[in-house]
Amino acid sequence: MNIRTFAPLVLSALVLGSTARAHSASDAYLNLSMDDGHRGGTFVVHGQWDIALRDLDFVLTLDDDGDGRLTWGEVRRHQADIERYAYAYLGFTANSGTRCAIRPARQMIDDHADGAYVALFFDVVCTQAPVRLRLDYNLFFAIDPSHRGIFVMNNGASVATAVLSPQNAAIDLAL
Amino acid sequence: MPVCRSRQYLAFALASLATCQGTAYGAATAASLSGPAAPFRTPYLPSNDAETLQDVPSALDPAVSEMRALRAQLDAAPRSFPAAISLADTYVAYGRQVGDAHYAGYAEAVIASWMAAAQPPTRVLVTQATILQYRHQFGAARALLQQALRKDRGYAQAWLTLATLDMVQGDYPSAGKECAQVTAAAGVELGLVCSANLRSYTGQARQSLVLLHQAEAAGENAPVNYQAWVQDLMSEDAERLGDWPLAEAHYLQALRLLPHDNFLMVAYADFLLDRARPKEVMTLLAGHEQSDTAFLRLALAQSALHSEQVGRYTWIMAARFQALALRGSDFFGREQARFALELQHDPQAALDLARRNWQVQREPWDTRLLLEAALAAQQPQAANDALAFLQRNKLEDVIIEPLARELRTKLTAADGAAP
Repeated sequence: MNIRTFAPLVLSALVLGSTARAHSASDAYLNLSMDDGHRGGTFVVHGQWDIALRDLDFVLTLDDDGDGRLTWGEVRRHQADIERYAYAYLGFTANSGTRCAIRPARQMIDDHADGAYVALFFDVVCTQAPVRLRLDYNLFFAIDPSHRGIFVMNNGASVATAVLSPQNAAIDLAL
Repeated sequence: MPVCRSRQYLAFALASLATCQGTAYGAATAASLSGPAAPFRTPYLPSNDAETLQDVPSALDPAVSEMRALRAQLDAAPRSFPAAISLADTYVAYGRQVGDAHYAGYAEAVIASWMAAAQPPTRVLVTQATILQYRHQFGAARALLQQALRKDRGYAQAWLTLATLDMVQGDYPSAGKECAQVTAAAGVELGLVCSANLRSYTGQARQSLVLLHQAEAAGENAPVNYQAWVQDLMSEDAERLGDWPLAEAHYLQALRLLPHDNFLMVAYADFLLDRARPKEVMTLLAGHEQSDTAFLRLALAQSALHSEQVGRYTWIMAARFQALALRGSDFFGREQARFALELQHDPQAALDLARRNWQVQREPWDTRLLLEAALAAQQPQAANDALAFLQRNKLEDVIIEPLARELRTKLTAADGAAP
């Protein structure tokens, strides 16, 4: 057998050579916080969802000029796309079975140790104060099952936390 | 569903998260985050449209356009196995090249429906095993490779992958048998490199170099990946033998073949750090901060240069390790141990990490770190197993040998002093 025919073999051989290395995988950070929760008949939870720009670029091709440098101008032009994409993978349901609305507030930029993230600020609005709220999270799982949503909920002095994954994509939050 | 609740302030929320997920939580990272404040702004709105926020793969990079073309082919024919496997393998190779684990996840998603079959195709088993091995899930990777070989005894790729896995874990007798299978299945050229790689770990670094010279000559027209692999192994041999100019020549040759390859750049950066040439590390790795492995070497170079930036680099590196712990990711002990030892100056944490790492991973760097940490923590007995391993396998390595000698001397002295 000629070495020329080994291309796929050798490719993997080099892959293996790199096993002993640390790597960043995809994370997003979802924070919810409750004040007293009640707003004139409705119930509101505030959210901040940080999603890595490089992850969003992979699915939405934000880098319009393809130069490998994602600028604020490019991100700003895609804000509606980002919002439409992300919120399609996040849902809140009251224990009554009624869906709560997600009201996008604003988008900012948040720097993390592994790069810049878009910070999506939003409110979750339920028509009645639920006892429990179910969170459904499916961001990126279909294209990257190693994505994780790092979830933190602040409720007064109490903090609830979870790691959202394909195996743990729906959680019940006691309010 | 596990939602953990705790009455703690936000500053501790992340730590409690790691704990409640059952993730072993490195003392090194825990300590560091209580240190200086994050060197980042709170969420902000950039004032200028031209401000660059993030480097992303460029559409002008041929590898990126190839991935996009393969993705388009798969999207057009989602059930096409050839389209899926070539995209998955391209993702894995690109992720390795740039040091970015996202692509292992993308590859996994692409082959997921074939992996879910009762009898996954052997190529899928091997690609999935490669992904798991990349994530240090060695046991699961081994099981998939053995499953592939039960279906196809002559599958050279599976043998080569298994041989590499056994070399990473220090099971050289098994790796020897697997290299023989590689030769039988794929021919002498590839078997030669497998065997040379093994000899490098078992006291035959000179023979290894001779074999690699043969492989180099035989592979003049071989794919560039093969040639770079041979050059990399030659530089490692030369390093073990203490021939620094030869090692450097082969690193540079490998990098001429695969410029900007994360694995090769990091190996060369380690060489430069050992040779007290940190300034060159800064130049070599500039623009590659996204890769955690490259970032660690930049931090080490900053430290060697006594730069004011050390604090910032150390903070960011600690935060990245913390993010890995938070997500319940697998353990990357080699990097974490080195970080604890050289940047956090915490020998005990480094020793704990290095010992845990050495249980699963026994490449020369893993052994070296365990010895260095045992010396720094003044616990020579912690290196007993590693010293026996070195003696058994006769590893030649001019950097590791003096460490082992020093530890043996201390152990003997301690024995003599014992009642």
